[in-house]
Amino acid sequence: MSLLAYTPFIDPLPAAYELWWLSAIPLLFGISMIYKAYRMPVLDGYWRQVGVMTAQILVAMILFAVSLSVLVVWIVPRLPVE
Amino acid sequence: MHDDSDTPQRIRPVAMLLAWIWPGLGHISLGERVRGYRIMGGMLLLFFGGLLIGGVDCVDRREDTLWFLPQAACGPLAFAADFANTKILKSAPPEELLSPPEPSGSGRLLPPTVSKRRGLAHPNEFGTLFIALAGLMNVAVILDAGFRRFGPSTASTGGGR
Repeated sequence: MSLLAYTPFIDPLPAAYELWWLSAIPLLFGISMIYKAYRMPVLDGYWRQVGVMTAQILVAMILFAVSLSVLVVWIVPRLPVE
Repeated sequence: MHDDSDTPQRIRPVAMLLAWIWPGLGHISLGERVRGYRIMGGMLLLFFGGLLIGGVDCVDRREDTLWFLPQAACGPLAFAADFANTKILKSAPPEELLSPPEPSGSGRLLPPTVSKRRGLAHPNEFGTLFIALAGLMNVAVILDAGFRRFGPSTASTGGGR
């Protein structure tokens, strides 16, 4: 798709075809914003809590991805066929 | 959190309706303005982030009905996006449409019915996911607005700042 023909909010973001994985960050940030906004009894330290929750989920996702990669790329090919 | 477990549970249908009509409005109506604005900010970030990434094709009541069910919890915003999808993509002039290949694999092309603006692959998946998750989060927010025990009282103790 030509960038000149791109219309925001109507066409898919051209960069998202390559850098789709970066969209996990605003996704997690938005979820954390909503969750902490209705869950915290008092909103003191709200933005810190949002940042911590975003980082926690992101790190967990990265660890899962690395674990799965190790399993699929290294461990499974070394298993005996029979 | 205040210990008011002895008081009977009050359901606030008006706050729940307002929370569905516009994200965060339910909490704002309960006097928790800052909480409502933050819910609104997060919800609009997810909704318009999804539209930005995947385009208006991410909300499609007819073709992606199961995805539209959680998306509809975002309220009229989701229906407006679906309306825009119908008006811009599905009702596009013929010169803006592509011919999909026949599903049997014969190589023949079917009449042009697919918009050139249609989202594909990861952008479409992530855009759809953003808006569906916004809707699911709004379900929790709607329930919180309807059944919140420490609602208006926190407005004076810091929660509503």
